[in-house]
Amino acid sequence: MTNLTPASREQKIQRGLKKRHRAERRFRIYGASAIIFGLMCVFLLFADIISKGHKAFLLTYINLEVVYDQDALGVDDPADAIQMSSGDFHGVVKAGLRNRFLDVNGRKNKRELYSIISNGAGYELRDSLKDKPTLLNKTIKVWLIADDDIDTYYKSLGDKTGPFKGRMTDNKEVWLQELMRSGDVETRFNFSFFSQGDSREPELAGIRGAAMGSFYTLVITIFLAFPLGVAAAVYLEEFAPRNRWTDLIEVNINNLAAVPSIIFGLLGLAVFINFFHVPRSVPLVGGLVLTLMTLPTIIISSRAAIKSVPPSIREAAIGVGASPMQVVLHHVLPLAMPGMLTGAIIGMARALGETAPLLMIGMVAFIVDIPNGFTDPATALPVQIFLWADSPERAFVEKTSAAIMVLLAFLVVMNTFAVVLRKRLERRWS
Amino acid sequence: MNRIETHASGPSGQLSEKPPGIEVDYPEETVGTPLVSNPKMSVRNVDVSYSGKQAIHNVTLDIGKHEVIAMIGPSGCGKSTFLRCLNRMNDTIEGCGVSGLITLDGEDIYAADMDPVALRAKVGIVFQKPNPFPKSIYDNVAYGPRLHGLASSRAEIDEIVEVSLTRAGLWNEVKDRLEQPGTGFSGGQQQRLCIARAIAISPDVILMDEPCSALDPIASAKIEELIAELSQNYTIAIVTHSMQQAARVSNRTAYFHLGRLVEVNDTEKIFTAPTHQLTEAYITGRIG
Repeated sequence: MTNLTPASREQKIQRGLKKRHRAERRFRIYGASAIIFGLMCVFLLFADIISKGHKAFLLTYINLEVVYDQDALGVDDPADAIQMSSGDFHGVVKAGLRNRFLDVNGRKNKRELYSIISNGAGYELRDSLKDKPTLLNKTIKVWLIADDDIDTYYKSLGDKTGPFKGRMTDNKEVWLQELMRSGDVETRFNFSFFSQGDSREPELAGIRGAAMGSFYTLVITIFLAFPLGVAAAVYLEEFAPRNRWTDLIEVNINNLAAVPSIIFGLLGLAVFINFFHVPRSVPLVGGLVLTLMTLPTIIISSRAAIKSVPPSIREAAIGVGASPMQVVLHHVLPLAMPGMLTGAIIGMARALGETAPLLMIGMVAFIVDIPNGFTDPATALPVQIFLWADSPERAFVEKTSAAIMVLLAFLVVMNTFAVVLRKRLERRWS
Repeated sequence: MNRIETHASGPSGQLSEKPPGIEVDYPEETVGTPLVSNPKMSVRNVDVSYSGKQAIHNVTLDIGKHEVIAMIGPSGCGKSTFLRCLNRMNDTIEGCGVSGLITLDGEDIYAADMDPVALRAKVGIVFQKPNPFPKSIYDNVAYGPRLHGLASSRAEIDEIVEVSLTRAGLWNEVKDRLEQPGTGFSGGQQQRLCIARAIAISPDVILMDEPCSALDPIASAKIEELIAELSQNYTIAIVTHSMQQAARVSNRTAYFHLGRLVEVNDTEKIFTAPTHQLTEAYITGRIG
């Protein structure tokens, strides 16, 4: 102990205080800047995706006069399904284009002209004739989907760097200018993006097939992983004796949670497809694989939730004569449920965004049909993003970003649901 | 009935730690009157250990019918451990071993065919910290009767709830808010709710583990009044830190010291003329 006069002690404390206050301020600034950095990254991500993807929600249409000519179509009865399916509706579109641009001559030029309207336009005409048989032999003006080259060019006309030409030719530009002058080109909201499956033609490709595939996969996953995970967690936490075996199980669960997801894909391929002969590429097998992947996460979060139930509640229940099962069912599970559900939904969100294991079990295939059940071939949203990002057509760039937006929307909805659920189920105890 | 397990007992007669300034020999036998003529529960030669570490040494004690017996002693003397043996709450603690004989109405409660659930329906317990379920007051009290199937209709449960809350002295305070959560009340009210919950299943014996230690003096006084009233119908064993409380509420008092039952006597006698030196040292405040 040195001898300090009150004055010098006061001085020393004051000097130390200033230093401490500076350190406090610095400490807070570190935290705040970490948050600002994180928010900036999120903002950049969203800004980039939205700026690239928002145009995918619009689609370019061309107004064209077409004749539902009985002879050209080869259809005399619109109610006849066979006639309708073999009818040459694309020929009608081609005829409409020829009539619109009468000065186009030569096979090459004509083929170029035909390519400004999407291949899917013929099917649109067929559907409208099926709905309205009286259209037969009538001449009407219809809005038809433009080809993706036209679509990309038209939507990028206002860009600072000039329109994206890509595979546009001078001829096509001239024709498009002419159509625009007469007001026969417009963009509309792209409903088919949300109602169609995948397609090789970007203007026809939709997200619905992948979204339904993800939905069916996740249904399997949640209905298997949640009950299994909760049952395992309850047993380990409430009933299992503490010994070498349970320690071993615990270590293994923690290790499984850290196993790269593609390994689970290989496991699913070996066990479910090769051994149990579950059909490949279907949501059923995808759900099983994702169950294996999410199970450790759900067990760990459920155990944490069960641990956080105050022991006094258990004692109270035992004290009035509840059996161990009643203690769990009446008190521990209801109190742990918010935490367990939050863990489960976060696990589901991870499963929703998982691509690698699905690649191994064939859910990476090009599938046009929208799956209608658990055993229909399907892909999933993240796989669809991967597939589109891999496609050469320029129009798939915006489709990719739009699909990412849909996936993110799914995730935001799921996480919001988790937060709301937790808030509603949470009960206070003293 | 004659199941007495032998147990590797610790060094008998040796106190690992003697209270400072007091030179006494540890008693081989409990002094005073541990046995009574009309026991509700009987405890014979009970040892308790946690993972091999002995917490209770060779306790023999009777708890008489409709008496209030208080257990006092310094912290860590094993009085709570002993209380929790009486309805097998210690079963849930891993590594806890109980040997010796404990009977309720002459029946061995540690017998293989004794279901702890049925035992706890007869021997209720109130804990140190009020621990109502995070449910409504009504559900808190109705939980036990529903569990044991004591009532078959809603009207019967209503009656049990009302009677229990009335006996716990809480009915007038809560009768208009039975649907409110039990956790939203004051500490004293919560503790009386826990008592109501314990008596709703009409136990024979109520164990109370320092029921007032988390409460203020006014709330404590209410609980003490309640204990006095309940003692007309129930047998009560209460662990308490407060010697005044023991003196006010109990008929007999048991003094525990380092896992041994040192002295049992009528409360009046123990607080005016304790037989054992350790008891005297404790009640005069020299140890504790």
